[in-house]
Amino acid sequence: MSARNAAAGGGDRARGEPAEDVLVEENQSGSVSLPSLMTPSSAACMSLSMEMPRKRKGSLDNQDTKSSSIPDADMEDIQNRSDGEDQNVKIKCFREPHSQIEKRRRDKMNNLIDELSAMIPTCNPMSRKLDKLTVLRMAVQHLKSLKGSASSFSEANFKPSFLPNEELKHLVLKAADGFLFVVGCDRGKIVFVSESVTKILNYSRAELIGQSLFDYIHPKDMGKVKEQLSASELYPRERLIDAKTGLQVQADLPVSAARLCSGARRSFFCRMKYNKIFIKVEEKEFQASTSKKKESQKYCTVHCTGYMRSWPTSHLEMDGDGEPDKQDSSYYSCLVAVGRIHSHSSPQVNGEVRVKPIEFITRFAMDGKFTFVDQRATTILGYLPQELLGTSCYEYFHQDDLPHLADKHRKVLRSKDKIETDCYKFKTKFGSFVTLQSQWFSFVNPWTKEVEYIVSTNTVISYDPGRTSRSEVKSELSSSSKTSEEDGNKSLQVILGISTTPGAMIYAGSIGTQIANELLDFNRMNSSSSSGSISPFSLPQDKCPQTHNQISNNMPNGGATDMEIPGKSSSEDEPQGAAFSGGESLMVENSQLDLDSVVGPGLSSLSNDEAAMAVIMSLLETDTNLGEAVDFEEMHWSS
Amino acid sequence: MKADKEKRRMISRDAARRRRRVESEVFAELSRLLPLQQSVQDHLDKPSVIRLTLSYIRMHTLLKGITGKKAEASHAVKCEQVMESGEEWRGCDRGRDDEEKKTDDVEASEETNMFLRILEGFLIVLSTEGDMIYLSDNVSKYMGLTQTELMGHNIFEFTHPCDHEEIRNNLRLTAEVWCGAKRDFVMRIKGALTHRGRSSNLKSATWKVLHCQGRAKVCVAPSSVSCLLLTCQPLPLSHTLLSTHTFTSQHSMDMRFTYCDQRITLLLGYSTEELLGRSIYDLCHTLDTNCLTKNHLNLCLKSQSVSGQYRMLVRGGGYVWVESHSAVIPSVRPSKSRPGAHQPLCILCVTYVLSGVEEPSLQLSLDQTVHRYLR
Repeated sequence: MSARNAAAGGGDRARGEPAEDVLVEENQSGSVSLPSLMTPSSAACMSLSMEMPRKRKGSLDNQDTKSSSIPDADMEDIQNRSDGEDQNVKIKCFREPHSQIEKRRRDKMNNLIDELSAMIPTCNPMSRKLDKLTVLRMAVQHLKSLKGSASSFSEANFKPSFLPNEELKHLVLKAADGFLFVVGCDRGKIVFVSESVTKILNYSRAELIGQSLFDYIHPKDMGKVKEQLSASELYPRERLIDAKTGLQVQADLPVSAARLCSGARRSFFCRMKYNKIFIKVEEKEFQASTSKKKESQKYCTVHCTGYMRSWPTSHLEMDGDGEPDKQDSSYYSCLVAVGRIHSHSSPQVNGEVRVKPIEFITRFAMDGKFTFVDQRATTILGYLPQELLGTSCYEYFHQDDLPHLADKHRKVLRSKDKIETDCYKFKTKFGSFVTLQSQWFSFVNPWTKEVEYIVSTNTVISYDPGRTSRSEVKSELSSSSKTSEEDGNKSLQVILGISTTPGAMIYAGSIGTQIANELLDFNRMNSSSSSGSISPFSLPQDKCPQTHNQISNNMPNGGATDMEIPGKSSSEDEPQGAAFSGGESLMVENSQLDLDSVVGPGLSSLSNDEAAMAVIMSLLETDTNLGEAVDFEEMHWSS
Repeated sequence: MKADKEKRRMISRDAARRRRRVESEVFAELSRLLPLQQSVQDHLDKPSVIRLTLSYIRMHTLLKGITGKKAEASHAVKCEQVMESGEEWRGCDRGRDDEEKKTDDVEASEETNMFLRILEGFLIVLSTEGDMIYLSDNVSKYMGLTQTELMGHNIFEFTHPCDHEEIRNNLRLTAEVWCGAKRDFVMRIKGALTHRGRSSNLKSATWKVLHCQGRAKVCVAPSSVSCLLLTCQPLPLSHTLLSTHTFTSQHSMDMRFTYCDQRITLLLGYSTEELLGRSIYDLCHTLDTNCLTKNHLNLCLKSQSVSGQYRMLVRGGGYVWVESHSAVIPSVRPSKSRPGAHQPLCILCVTYVLSGVEEPSLQLSLDQTVHRYLR
């Protein structure tokens, strides 16, 4: 029977056919509304009686019993159906014995009753379990008492809402975490603002309503806000993106009242004033409001999202005379929006003492060259980001720290973990060293599983390495620095396995390159066994990073030390055709979000069948990708 | 002997019938107490009545916790406002008459509606077990199923199994939840709407991708009322684009640009050609790597996503805050009707630029410096 098949298929919901399983059982829930199942007018009720007997997924596995025995006498007691016809229909369609279905229905009802008794205060103290009827009666009493306390006018309404409106509003505000405001487009007059603004901007509603929004916006943002409010944007050129084809379909919409009301969306940041002083019911408040302009204003970044809306002026009480005949003036356009504090933005510093930051973030290419430097680095290291960009991090590491950092570098390229370095010294622009400690992890593209770059979170341990206390420095550092001091170059050779002629000068800048090359070789050797999930549709991307890398290498490095080598390494390229899955699948703790770990081995449960197809195809095409790989000869650093 | 048995059976049947009748009456009484339209009340089946009763009681307890404090706070503010304006002290709420309360009620309802409209979604209150204690009534607009059909049911019955673990993680009351950490995740839910937006039934439901954001509300006692307040926005597959401050782009599945519309030149300075083949991860601020990764994963797994706010680097220096709405576009193979059409599986993004260029002289990434030299 089709219904049975549907039931059988119900467990496999990943196929995107979610609904059949719902239909199976629910006719069994001997409910009063069963007759109404047959009436088309109560489609809503049909789904009402459709309830899952259990809350666990895959609950439809009771298909094993094949007995189709007619229910026996005890069913009559439990039956609550007025329509015997249904029963016959059910017996035909479902192989499951009625007793089992009924049992489940009873269990479900009992569970609900138990839950109900737990929620009703009068039921709780009872030590013994109460019977169904008593619980129900107590529920009735309880509801009556609840309703009595809250005088809800919603009952008088045509359509009562489940929650009283006031309370629903609070709920929404709590969830949305922002304040609602409506401003007129022409002059920016604040027509309405919700109470929650007090919590966020610390102004009372009375203060804001009727004022101009521009009085509360940072001067530099006024132009932007004006633009967002401008009426010319009121008629959106709606561009629909057809999800099937990905094409844009333009439609210039005629200007009509209906259209205006449907509203163009707005989304922007702006800096808004917030009131530092809490308004107290004292004389001082008047002073506070006037002296606002004298004090340095505090601003916070607010993310505003909303839509444009027009009201016919005939419906509003306007100052001027609203003649409904005139097209433009008969509509009052407003922006209706929600403002939420944007937490990411850096706080506005207005004359505050700047605290020296102790952390900054950098990005390295696989070979250790800086590709991104956070501006906080400048205060710490003295270099501007552009002075560091393109240079190898090894040029700045203290010689003593090179071995262990190189080791960590190797480790991080092969691991999904966050790798902590020991403390090490980093050369500043002025020649001195600061002690840093970093956390590195390789960022892997979720789709291709290739390492895109290494992210480093660097913390300052001490600005004066000389004073670094023993307890801060990790134990390994001191021991390694002692051993490597005598035979600096030799130990480097041993550790890094650089196969150059003995005695050749090893320049620090090349260390990173060597490590990256090692990885490429490793991957190249293992590429036949590794499974790549590179999309077959990726464009040939080797050319781009290669060219810009070469150029960057020719750049003069600011603050160059004599260890700097402008090498021609283009090893920044991600290894083509060699995925980084490797044999070392680690961790218990996945510091990186990963497709496999989330979905489980095999991406077959992707809801998008096409995506799954693409992955399978890419697995097949891995070998062909190898052919397009970059010429490895070019990539090794050559002195 | 036989007659005896028959008699006993008849007695027991009568007793059972009486019990059932009494039970039905109590159920009917209970359903009439629920704040629902009469037509809905009459058609509720017994389990639904209990479910809705449970929801009502739970919400009442929950709201006491939320509005209790709020009511006090707003009350205090109201009092101050009254005093500021020099009006007569009319004494908080008690002096107000029914008319005022009614206006307040209507106003509150309008405000809520505006909020929900801006959010373009519905509200859901989830218990820690995943029970949908409450849903705002506009849920039918987005899911095709009404508030009363869904309330009291468990969310795991309606969501994609692959997303269950993520949902469970979000429901857990961890230490950070106590500190009010925000929840933000994407999940797939059954939607019983036809393409034209009409309600169909659950049989022909399709997966709808919802972006859920919210906070947990932890109640100490009774602890069973601790829950998660979420606003759920279905991610639309069509966007009303603004003519400025937005641009569209297409990417291969690894997030490298395969196409970008020219508005990006005005907004970020890049020419569309130089972006082709570039990874979006190169163009963004490192601190936002996690945000982008999460977005990318949601796209791969759920086919739609909305990023939070992140920073895109501007050519030559500085950055802007943006927010992207993305979807995976299924691949198009040449067919009889469209022999020329060929489009691989790709990602389509609509990016809203939220801020102006911040720190324009600051060059944070290698790309920004290269361009300075190349010019």
